[in-house]
Amino acid sequence: MDFAAAHAGFVIAAYGLSLVVLGGLSAHILLRDRRLRAAARRLDGERGDTRA
Amino acid sequence: MTMQYLANPTRFLRLANALLPYLWALTAGLLVIGLYGALVSSPPDYQQGETVRIMYVHVPAAWMALFVYSVMALASAAALIFRHPLADVAAKTAAPLGAAFCFLALATGSLWGKPMWGAWWVWDARLTSMFVLMLLYLGYMAIWAAIEEPHRAAMVARIVALVGFINVPIVKFSVDWWNSLHQPASVFRMDGPTIAAPMLWPLLVMGLAYTFLFLSLHLVAMRAEIAARKIRQIQIAEIGER
Amino acid sequence: MSLILALIRRDLMLSIRQGGGVGTALGFFLTVVVLLPIGIGPDQALLARIAPGALWIALLLSVLLSADRIFQQDYEDGSLDIMTMGPVPFEMVALAKAVAHWLSTSLPLAIAAPILGFLVNLEAAAVLPLTLAMALGSIALSFLASIGAAVTVGLRRGGLLVSVLVLPLYVPVLIFGLSASDPGAAPGLTFAALLILAAIALVSLVLSPLAAAAALRAYLR
Repeated sequence: MDFAAAHAGFVIAAYGLSLVVLGGLSAHILLRDRRLRAAARRLDGERGDTRA
Repeated sequence: MTMQYLANPTRFLRLANALLPYLWALTAGLLVIGLYGALVSSPPDYQQGETVRIMYVHVPAAWMALFVYSVMALASAAALIFRHPLADVAAKTAAPLGAAFCFLALATGSLWGKPMWGAWWVWDARLTSMFVLMLLYLGYMAIWAAIEEPHRAAMVARIVALVGFINVPIVKFSVDWWNSLHQPASVFRMDGPTIAAPMLWPLLVMGLAYTFLFLSLHLVAMRAEIAARKIRQIQIAEIGER
Repeated sequence: MSLILALIRRDLMLSIRQGGGVGTALGFFLTVVVLLPIGIGPDQALLARIAPGALWIALLLSVLLSADRIFQQDYEDGSLDIMTMGPVPFEMVALAKAVAHWLSTSLPLAIAAPILGFLVNLEAAAVLPLTLAMALGSIALSFLASIGAAVTVGLRRGGLLVSVLVLPLYVPVLIFGLSASDPGAAPGLTFAALLILAAIALVSLVLSPLAAAAALRAYLR
């Protein structure tokens, strides 16, 4: 791509925005998943102990 | 009720965990190839110059916005008809993803429209339809947020998703018909067969990349939602036991 | 059937006695129609051009504003609960209530709007097509609003949400309504737009009670 071309800024902005939005979304979903599964595992473990 | 709910998700989780590494790998690979095609190998447009490259992130986002809503509507219908507990989870978790793609379609479309048409926004057929789609996503997500009781929220959300789905072709039809009467300022004509091959293949690859990204994120989000529900059920059960 | 008519009559009586609904909607409509020419300025030609659109929007917003009346009261005092157990299918109850709203609010406004069109310099030739289009469109407006009202009936601050939910449904009605109101358009196009408006009205008449009843049941369980 010719970065010096006219309106190149719009192209960079479009790709940059896509990266930020999709990257941020992915990060949020992956982190949330990790946090919730860890919490579920912990609670499950506690329940197992109190029951036994 | 508890045992019945836990039985199905286990099978799903096993399948999801097995598939995810491959889905992520495909996503990454397709993105690399697609971006290379979009930014390096494909030629600038005769008239638009480099700005045509925005097409490679704009069109796939728009495709996904429509595809994900269809997934949401299908899942809602499955929840309504078969009452499968995972169907509501599938619909609920798909919405933020679809909304993000819809937002990107609108935003990158604006960034493409300004240099090409001279306007950040025009109320022509496609833009109006996509704007309405954004509203549908927001309304659906707002319902889940506004109703506290999960089962009730699911019941209402199904209806909202399905009513919205009926509206999507109606909106597309009505705005297309409307624009045939009021000539729009500019009409962007682009259909698959009329794009040159060097531009078509990066577009399709990016479309596939976005699709696999959605599939990967959707499975992860469903997995997280199942964990969240499990946590809630344990907490409720513990209150009951005391 | 007579039970359904009784339901419609009941809702109409209630709205007349309480007076809130139609009055608020009409008041809002007048506010928009009076403020618009003040806000746009003295350019009469411009006003004449946007008059049909302005009147349609005022109608839309007024109907939307009064939508929560359809189910709210009966939900709060438990009448809706009793209606689910009655001899009338609940979908018919939703239909009856939407019809009552149409008769008490949307239709009167749709008929009044073109008459009040002089406030926004509506051209004389447009009055009749506008009346016809609005009368037809008002059916869809009431029924589609009933879906939004049902979906948000149990929410504390459902007002904003109703707008977000019903607006996408109103867009086709507005688009075809405008096409049908244009006195300068070819008669074939106007007729086609009216037919499509009628189609939307019929579809909403059939599907809205189904959707509304399903949403209400979720809140009544």
